[in-house]
Order: sequence, then structure tokens, then C-alpha cells
Amino acid sequence: MLLCDFHIHTTYSDGAVGLRRTVDLFGQAGFDVIAITDHVVNGDNPLGKLAHRFRYSVTSDNFYRYMDHVKEEAERAWDKYGMLIIPGVEISKNHLTADQSAHILLLDIKDFIPACWSYEEIFLTAREQEALIIACHPHYMSDMSRDTLFLWNNRAKYARHIDAWEIANRDDVFNVVSLEKYPHVANSDFHRPRHLYSWKTLLNCEKNILSVKQCIKHNKGVAITLFRKSEEMKW
Amino acid sequence: MVIFWIFAVIAMVGLAGYAGQVAAVIKTVRAGSKGTVAGTPPGQAPEEDFCPPISILKPLKGLDDNLFDNLESFCLQDYPAYEIIFSIQDHDDPVCRIVRKIRAKYPHREISILIEKCGDGLNPKVNNLIPAVRAARYEHVLISDSNVLVGRDYLRAVASPMKDDRVGLVSSLIRGVRGRTLGSVFENLHLNSFIAGSVCLLDRFLHMPCVIGKSMLMRKGDLEEIGGMQAVKDFLAEDYIIGKRMHDSGRRVVLSNYAISNVNEYWGLKKFINRHTRWGKLRWKIGGVKYLSELAGNAVFISFLPLLLSGFSAMTASLAIGVSAVKMAGDYYLGRRLDTGMNPLLYLFVPVKDIVIGCIWFVPLLSSSVVWRGNRYVIGDNSLLAPYPESGLWTLSTRVFNALRTREA
Repeated sequence: MLLCDFHIHTTYSDGAVGLRRTVDLFGQAGFDVIAITDHVVNGDNPLGKLAHRFRYSVTSDNFYRYMDHVKEEAERAWDKYGMLIIPGVEISKNHLTADQSAHILLLDIKDFIPACWSYEEIFLTAREQEALIIACHPHYMSDMSRDTLFLWNNRAKYARHIDAWEIANRDDVFNVVSLEKYPHVANSDFHRPRHLYSWKTLLNCEKNILSVKQCIKHNKGVAITLFRKSEEMKW
Repeated sequence: MVIFWIFAVIAMVGLAGYAGQVAAVIKTVRAGSKGTVAGTPPGQAPEEDFCPPISILKPLKGLDDNLFDNLESFCLQDYPAYEIIFSIQDHDDPVCRIVRKIRAKYPHREISILIEKCGDGLNPKVNNLIPAVRAARYEHVLISDSNVLVGRDYLRAVASPMKDDRVGLVSSLIRGVRGRTLGSVFENLHLNSFIAGSVCLLDRFLHMPCVIGKSMLMRKGDLEEIGGMQAVKDFLAEDYIIGKRMHDSGRRVVLSNYAISNVNEYWGLKKFINRHTRWGKLRWKIGGVKYLSELAGNAVFISFLPLLLSGFSAMTASLAIGVSAVKMAGDYYLGRRLDTGMNPLLYLFVPVKDIVIGCIWFVPLLSSSVVWRGNRYVIGDNSLLAPYPESGLWTLSTRVFNALRTREA
């Protein structure tokens, strides 16, 4: 089974750790597949404008530099750790209320997709780029300030566009995803080193981007696991 | 005023002791291992190589900072013949995934993954090592912790003193590297000053073996003669006991000048405090009254006591600042000599770290129990572990403590 994490932020957005060190943290811990998914924040409201102002967002200006850097690190990670890195972004539609906010992971994205587009436009363009679409932290979380409920509240309309839903994010588990029997993954939403120890996905497939995407999409051979350090057991 | 002068004198004595530690580290780094060619530069193998085949035993449990690189550094040794045995207790340990990757990356190396549950003793590291020693193919066995990073010339350097048949054990100088969090910075500062200094002082000037288990090279025959791993299975400080028994049996215990790196990157303060509380309890149980000298040796902590007891004044503040400045300068110098690569600004944390260590010093006087894998043990003489008594006053105190802690949580 491949140990995977598909939701990782670096200093390209609001992560505390640079890309290279993030890759090393996961590589040193024995991960098989990770996705680098820095925020692309909507700039059409004051919240988004602040994120752009403080460079907490990948923008159209630095998107290709970001992608090149991820690809460069992907080559290094493959040679050194045998770890596959999938380039991606987290489309972050932030609004003042949780009901209006939504975050969407796009894995294996090729071109920039602005977060201020409509949901339909985003899903359609992502599909054209053969990117995998994952709804992030779709339900209530222990840290209420991050709640993003729009996609869950509108699942009847948008579920057909979404390849998988996060059933667990860092320390939270969303049993509602299980009740709806949606395809699922579990991720860390990594922002700082301690987030390495959190919920993860295990995949039973080949270690290449196409197989990983197929495995998540078909949701066969997918398991989730709580990755812990077991500090008290050390000598 | 009397209080001030008492503590000022103790602080000066502490600084003198610290100067001895610095001198011992310099002597160790400069002179090379006893039994090796004198004058060998640090980190370099002597000209005349002695390279017996070695079994490297790696007891593994859970994840460490930089684990992949640490383990990989043992696959990159410039050494003719050696095997690596990764010894693990549980199939579901996350470290299994890493060692499998390493074995796949270095198919030409002799790498074995030994997963065997052993519950012979109370020390989990020794339990991990018992099957590994049994599986070792070569006469020379090197026990090496998972959080150790070494250079390509490490094996040659530590094997060299074994050319002398009188040498029974070779351990290594340790330096803490790469701290990125406060806990890690504290840990590295402490390893590079107090721990490195004490080990070198005991070895160079007091001729007492002080082995730290992060790197121990022995002959299997010698180990068996002192009772093997079975003889130390219930000791918390199995490394110290092995070194002591080796010394008592008439064999020489050598401290190599090869500095191995102990990578501590993302430690929290809690982990730092827990480790040094545990190590303090060990030293209290092993050293007895000698443990009291550690407090006097903590010149920074002592120098701050007049501030606390007599209040702020030019004299009390001058003492605290002066002693702290000397200690920071000394630790910076040691860090440079040990080539730790630490940012000079981080040495500003030295006084804070020493005050924390000073507070931790008192804990072993009040408690002699440790918790391992959810079980509580009592540490006895020479660090001999015993299950925590299920009745009596001790249990009552633990229950009260746990109840208070649960209530707070």
C-alpha cells in the first residue's frame, strides 16, 4: 500500500515550511506519494485581497514558476526517496461565512485556474486539464475558523463534478462523507512540521500519477490511516 | 551580601569545572582516540587502516528527525565488508516502510530487516537488540541509534582502535545538529556543551568510562563474556553498564574523536524536558552524591539564584550577566570545535537552557520512576528497572498526581 498525502502547503502560500524542506520532511518519513497543493485564493473580496497582498496565494504571475519548482523537487524526491510528487493547487473560495466558503484540491493541474471563477467553470477547466478534483474539509472541523461548507451544502448540485471528498483532514474525521458513500481520501492539510502526524491515505496501486488518480477516482483499494510518531515509545 | 558571595563562589567553581570540560573536549578532538594514531584530525581515519567485517545493529522504533538520511548514511560507508541489521519489534511500525525503501535503494549492500518481538527485559532498546545480536554474522558488532548521522569514513575511524586486542569497546563523541525549534536548539546546545564536555572530562582527565549508546563498537565474544545483552536487559542505562563491565573486565573503553551527528530538528520543549529528566534520574541513581556536583557545575543557574533570593542589584545582575556571557562564549567555542554548524545567534539561548536544566536537576531527587510504553517503572541502583509497586505510599502519590493531572486536562 502506498502511504499518501494529497493536501500540502508550502511558503508559496500560507505554509510555514519551504518547498524543499517540506519534500524532505515527507521523504524522510517514508511517504510514497504526496501532492503539493498551495492555495490559489479568490481575489474578488477583501479576504482574498488580503491573501494576495501578503502573498498567501499562488497567482497567475508566479503559477508557472511554482509548477517548475514542484517538478524540479519531484525529480529530486523520486531519485532520493522513491517518492512521487503530484503538482496541484487548492482553489480557495474564502468568504466571511462558512456556508459560502469552499476549498477544492486540483491534483495534476497543468495551467492556472483563478479561484474567482464560478464553480462550473473551475470544474470544467480542471476536467479539461485531466486534473483530479477533491473537495477539502467539507464539513465542520474542530478549528471552526476554517469551516468551508458550501460544497457539502450544495452536494446535490456539485457532487457529480467531484472525484473524491476528504473524509479526514488533519485530526478531524467527517463521518457524513462515509454516510453518503462518496469516494474518499484523508489528508494532513500540512502547514507546519507537526501536521505531518495526522490522517493519511493508503492506496493499493502503482506508483505513478495516472494510477494514483484512477485509484482515487474509482475508490477501490483506498484506506485511511492515522499516522503517528509514537513519541513515548522512544528511548 | 553573604548569600551573594556564597553563590558567586559556587558559580566560579562551576565555571572552573566548565573550563575543564572545554579543555577535555579540545584534548579529545585534537589528540585522537586513545589507541589510535595520535594527532589524527577529527573525522579522518588514521593512515594505518584496520577494517574487520562489522555487523551494524540498528534498533529502530518509530520515526526520528531526518531518519531516511540517518539510515542511508550507514549504507554509504567507505568500508570493505559490513552488514546492516535493522531491528524492529512490530510489523506496523512506520519505520518498516523506510527501511524497505533503503534496502531497495541499495540492493548491493548486505541489509537485513529483522522484525521480532522480544519481551525478555524491561528495557525496550535492549529487547530490540537481543535478536539483532543473535543474527549478527560478524565478530565485530556496532550498536548505533537511529538518530545518528555519520560521514563515509565513520566505520574506518571507529574500527581503527579495535586493532589493539586490549580495546573492548569504542564509543564516539556526539554533537547535536540542525535545531529548527526551541526544543531542538536546547537539546543541541546541551549535547554540545554539558554532555560532550562531561563525557570527555570523565574519559580524558578522570579515566572513567562513560559510554553513550549512540555508537558502541564491540567484539561479540567480549560482549558475551560480560553476559551479553541479556545481562543488561533490565537496566535503563544499558550503555553505561556495558561500558563499566567492559572496563571492569580489564578491557579498554575508548572514546573515538570521530564526532557523530545526533540530528534533532523538530523537538518540542516537552521532549527536551522529558529526556533530560530521565537522564537526570539515571545519573542520580548511578552517580549518587556525585550528582550534586552537577548543580554546582551549572554556573549560569547558580549565578541567577542571588537575583532570585536577594533581589535585583548591580552586583547580582552583574554576576548573572557575566557568568552567562562566559558560558555563551564557551559554548560557542565548543560548537565551533565540534563543527556543529549552529547559527551563532542561537547561543543567546544558552542561559535560558541552563536555567531550565537547573530546574530539571531537582526532579530526580523527588521521583525515581519512568513511564515507558504506558508502563511505569522504578529506577533502582545503577539504573536497574523494576515494575512500579502496585501498593503502598508510592502508588498513592502517583494516583494523586495522575488525578490532579487528569483534572487539569
